[in-house]
Amino acid sequence: MTDGQTIAKGRKSADWLKHLVIGGILLIEMFPFYMMLQISFKDNAMFNRSPWLPAWITSWHWENWIFGARLVTPYLANTVFISVSATVGSIVIAVMGAYFFARYRMPFSGILWSAFLVLMLMPGVANIVPLFLLLKEMHLLNTLWALVILGVAGGQVFNIYVLRNFIEDIPKDLFEAAEIDGASHFQQIMNVVIPLSGSIIGTLAILTFLGSWNDFLMPLIVLRDRQLFPLGVGLIYLDGEPVKEWGRTMATYFLASLPLIILFLFTMKLFVRGLSAGAIKG
Amino acid sequence: MPATLSPRKALHEWQLYLFLVPSLVLVATFMYFPAASAIYHSFFDWQGGDAARFTGLANYRRVLNDVVLWRSFETIGILIIANIIKLIPSILLAVLIHRLGSEKWQYWYRVLLVLPMIVPGLVRLFIWKFFFDPNFGILNKVLDFTGGKTLLIALDHHFLRWGIFHAGVPVPWLSESHLIVPSLIIWGFPWIGTVGVLIYLAGLQSIGTEVYEAADLDGVNSFQKFIHIELPLIMTQVRLSLVLLIIGTLQGFGLQFLLLGANGGAGGSGMVPGLWMFNRAFSAGEFGYACALGMVLFIFILALTLLNNKYVRVEK
Repeated sequence: MTDGQTIAKGRKSADWLKHLVIGGILLIEMFPFYMMLQISFKDNAMFNRSPWLPAWITSWHWENWIFGARLVTPYLANTVFISVSATVGSIVIAVMGAYFFARYRMPFSGILWSAFLVLMLMPGVANIVPLFLLLKEMHLLNTLWALVILGVAGGQVFNIYVLRNFIEDIPKDLFEAAEIDGASHFQQIMNVVIPLSGSIIGTLAILTFLGSWNDFLMPLIVLRDRQLFPLGVGLIYLDGEPVKEWGRTMATYFLASLPLIILFLFTMKLFVRGLSAGAIKG
Repeated sequence: MPATLSPRKALHEWQLYLFLVPSLVLVATFMYFPAASAIYHSFFDWQGGDAARFTGLANYRRVLNDVVLWRSFETIGILIIANIIKLIPSILLAVLIHRLGSEKWQYWYRVLLVLPMIVPGLVRLFIWKFFFDPNFGILNKVLDFTGGKTLLIALDHHFLRWGIFHAGVPVPWLSESHLIVPSLIIWGFPWIGTVGVLIYLAGLQSIGTEVYEAADLDGVNSFQKFIHIELPLIMTQVRLSLVLLIIGTLQGFGLQFLLLGANGGAGGSGMVPGLWMFNRAFSAGEFGYACALGMVLFIFILALTLLNNKYVRVEK
């Protein structure tokens, strides 16, 4: 009894130390974002005078934010278009593909499955050059559709891989019952697969969306016209300016992050659970 | 396991194949075709236009004597070793969070961990780039403030003899050839990988509290617990992230490109194999040679993956 109590106590006091260490690490981890936020209200002179602490609210430079908003808005529309289309397309097509592999073992299933898996080993980097030339042949260079299609194609292997496992775990009886009711394969996807694998589809959608949102290499290679740039490329051009007003730059960075932060607030549980659960699976 | 269909029944269900067609077409066009095209064109002298001249193995012979490429492999080797060491903080953080008694705190720390992930990678990258800025950057301010600068000057004067640290002169982190690789290593301190931590936490979840209680009764200390209880349980995940990390580092070049440009910065110190391929294709227009470089990279990555499959079994 006394032993148990001392152990419990020992664990508790040690917990206090753990909180301190974890908190410390997380604070350093957040530090860049703190700096981004507080610098976004200053001009260069103010930053040089006191780099660390936030400025007093009456001296905040709101015009930094107006500058940022003007810069970000047109890019934002492009990014949203690319990411949303790529995510929807990728998930819809991947669910269909995964259904093919998970529903029955058809002739050639095995070969087709290996054909998909091999792609996981293939480094994307070797493909960039021919991909660029392929898009040129298809007259897709300098279009947003190129990025949408690449996003859809790029997500297939991983999404099908994960979804197949989940669809296979759905009890066979449900499919059979639907079949007896005369449901086509398409209806079985709509009425059995999607309701039962909603959370994993949500997680995959978020991951695909994030991947597309954060990609900058392909947009940089594919796009030339400024009015087509997504956020990332816009930021790269902003970074390339020779003289920098850091407050403006930071305000722009924050505004560029805002859509994802809002998305996160609404899907926090899906994010955290999905990432943890996805981690267990594979 | 899905039921196997006899060929006759499968014929009846032929529409099922249609469901795979969109994926298959996309993958064939945008993944298989470029790969085949890369292999094919790696044997050509090709500027990207219609005219391509077959040159046999000339590109590959050039690869063997390509000083820049082999130097870039050295650089990437250093970065890979550094990145492996940088896995440690994530493992330790996961263990710390897991050892907390309160489930509620565990959940909230997980949420806090995911937070940096929702800031676009590019924004994070540019904030770090700002940290390294010679005049405004945080790194130089911290060094001046803590006296770390004096230490660096002494180190340089007595041991390194690079002559790059001087009192009163801001350190040009990203534009000084000697400092580029160290900067890339410091990059992202404290090196917490969100996905990594979450994966380790998932692995640790299988340890029941009774294991800890038994260990406590036996007087096992924290470090022994880590070595004997926790580490073995997440070894699978650690190996998995190790493999992904090595492959990712080997083919990544976005960071180097954005920080240092297509030439790899001052003296080409930040040149990595992927960037060299990109440079040959898009700066020099040598698409055929770039394809050959891509194939060399591919062979390296494939060899690593096969080695991993053979010696490092990852159980599913």
